[in-house]
Amino acid sequence: MNRTQALALVLTLFSAPTLAHGQESARDIIDRVDRIMRGESSYGVATMDVVTENWERSMTMEVWSLGTEYSLIHITAPNKEAGTATLKAGDDIWNYLPRVDRSIKIPASLMMGAWMGSHFTNDDLVKESRLIEDYDIEIEFEGERDGAEVWEFVLTPKPEAAVVWGRITYEVRKDDLMPVWARYYDEDDTLVRTMTFSDYRMMGGRLVPAAMDMLPEDKPGERTSVRYSEIEFDIEIDESFFSLRSLRSRR
Amino acid sequence: MALGPWWRIGWRNLGRNRRRTLITAAGLAFGYLAVVVLIGLMDGLTAEMIESGTGVLSGQLQVHDVEYRPERKIYDTIGGRDGTDVERLVREITSDPVVEAVAPRVFAGGLVSSGESTVAGILMGIDPKLEPGVSTLMNGMVRGRVPAAGTNEILIGTEMARQLEVDVGDEVILVAPAADGSMGNDLYTVSGVYQSGMAELDASYAVLPIGSLQILVALDPGRIHEIAASVTDPWLAPEAADRLTAGLSPLGVEVEVAAWTELRPEMLDYAQLADGWRFVVIFIVFAIAIFGVANTMLMATYERRREIAVMLALGTTPFSIVRSVLSEALALGILSLAFGAAITFPVMFWFHNAPPDLSWLYGDYTIFGALIRPRLRVEYHFAMALWTGVALLMTALLASLYPAARAARVPPADTLSGL
Repeated sequence: MNRTQALALVLTLFSAPTLAHGQESARDIIDRVDRIMRGESSYGVATMDVVTENWERSMTMEVWSLGTEYSLIHITAPNKEAGTATLKAGDDIWNYLPRVDRSIKIPASLMMGAWMGSHFTNDDLVKESRLIEDYDIEIEFEGERDGAEVWEFVLTPKPEAAVVWGRITYEVRKDDLMPVWARYYDEDDTLVRTMTFSDYRMMGGRLVPAAMDMLPEDKPGERTSVRYSEIEFDIEIDESFFSLRSLRSRR
Repeated sequence: MALGPWWRIGWRNLGRNRRRTLITAAGLAFGYLAVVVLIGLMDGLTAEMIESGTGVLSGQLQVHDVEYRPERKIYDTIGGRDGTDVERLVREITSDPVVEAVAPRVFAGGLVSSGESTVAGILMGIDPKLEPGVSTLMNGMVRGRVPAAGTNEILIGTEMARQLEVDVGDEVILVAPAADGSMGNDLYTVSGVYQSGMAELDASYAVLPIGSLQILVALDPGRIHEIAASVTDPWLAPEAADRLTAGLSPLGVEVEVAAWTELRPEMLDYAQLADGWRFVVIFIVFAIAIFGVANTMLMATYERRREIAVMLALGTTPFSIVRSVLSEALALGILSLAFGAAITFPVMFWFHNAPPDLSWLYGDYTIFGALIRPRLRVEYHFAMALWTGVALLMTALLASLYPAARAARVPPADTLSGL
């Protein structure tokens, strides 16, 4: 998940509070979590801290999203990167580079590449809203953990789905539908990375996890943390906003 | 020929049926030719593979930071984060007696983009003056020229140019994760297009001046990933690597000096396998020849059985008969060897100095990522030529053991009485 996805998750999670979910299928629950988290559209401001073995950096960004198809991320700090923007439109990802005033399209072969040096991949941006389509979802565990009633879902890729993960497990709190963590396993069923959610708080009128940490298993000590300082939902925005032209004009 | 009567008898017996002797000798001689030329061709192929595999890009020796291989992280520059005195290191390595040329390099992974096309590339920063001494990558220039130092110029392969739909003079965007965590990006002008013949190289390697790449990926001028070197003879590379490892340690930089034998173990394996095959070739060719010679010697002794019976009747020992037959075989072997050498060495000289080009028949091909030109190149291997000669003589002698034993057991009385 990348921050947009996270954002989407965040967005989805907070509304649904007290419906009876007892009879719902796992798929329905995830779908609902997803929808609630995403809203029709959203705007957020987030800070991303990336810690690697070799360097640490912090970036501030604005994030817009519309439905499942569109999102735009615009980096505002630090200066060296300010103006850099990423547009997701359907399956395509474009990066706008202010220094050369050009946009480049990320080729399919590089979708697993790191996004802006973080532990998120370009693929995370594209696949954020596809869990329902790409995975069979089952409830693996239902009950109390760490003092809260939770579900643990296991997501197994559908045979025809073009996804990179062999399995995803996903824990969601029952009472407020807040995600707790998601664990990503590769095709050999080895844990590759863990995403944890925390700092649940009211933002934009909904309860959201304001902080997300992505921890790669193969690089202990490294992490990417995204923290939202502001989120608004159902803002006035349309598809024309998510265009290459707007990538440029936003700098 | 004052070597004793048996030797003389053997030699003279060869002259009794000259045509048969010549045909047998020709068989052995061509066997010799086949073995020596085949081994030469195998060695030629190995040499071509090593020269091409190390010469196009990698060089025969590489110096890296101890941490650099195998992950090849951008951070692991020679001398660590502080970098090193590149010029001094280059000087030190150049001073090794077998090192011919030295070239410092910086590597980064990145995107090369133009219009809607973007490809992943390996960005290689080079010193345009030093690099041609080590690698032939830039010899394969199809259009344009080498990037000039200090400019944002870039040299790309034909396949990358095709995928990006760019040509000399066009602009491309490079995006590369930099050593400080930022995304380096800048515009570059395509100064030239090269073709190495190796598809993966032509599709992925983009060459730019070392300083420009260091700026793009936020590395100081003293930070480089590799110093590649070419040596006078590829087989001297491993010991030069050991020598340099010892010689560079007093400089206070922790480097690893690796010869191609270590960097490309599969090529070394192939070379060693080819070495092993030499003896298989000798065995196969002479195993075929041995039956031909045995047949000839059987015929020769059978024709002479009355004569042999007379000798035995006159008191010649059977052992002396064996000696005379073996002498004949040895003489035949020496004759064949002289004949074989006479036809082999000119062919070897020709194939070595002006290898016939078969490109009209076959295209270039690659072995272990090394480009091989289709030509009959041979390498001299005098020890093997000698061994082959020994094998030829052994063949002649071995083939004659049975005929000799039969000759020695000719029953004199029965034979002479016409039975």
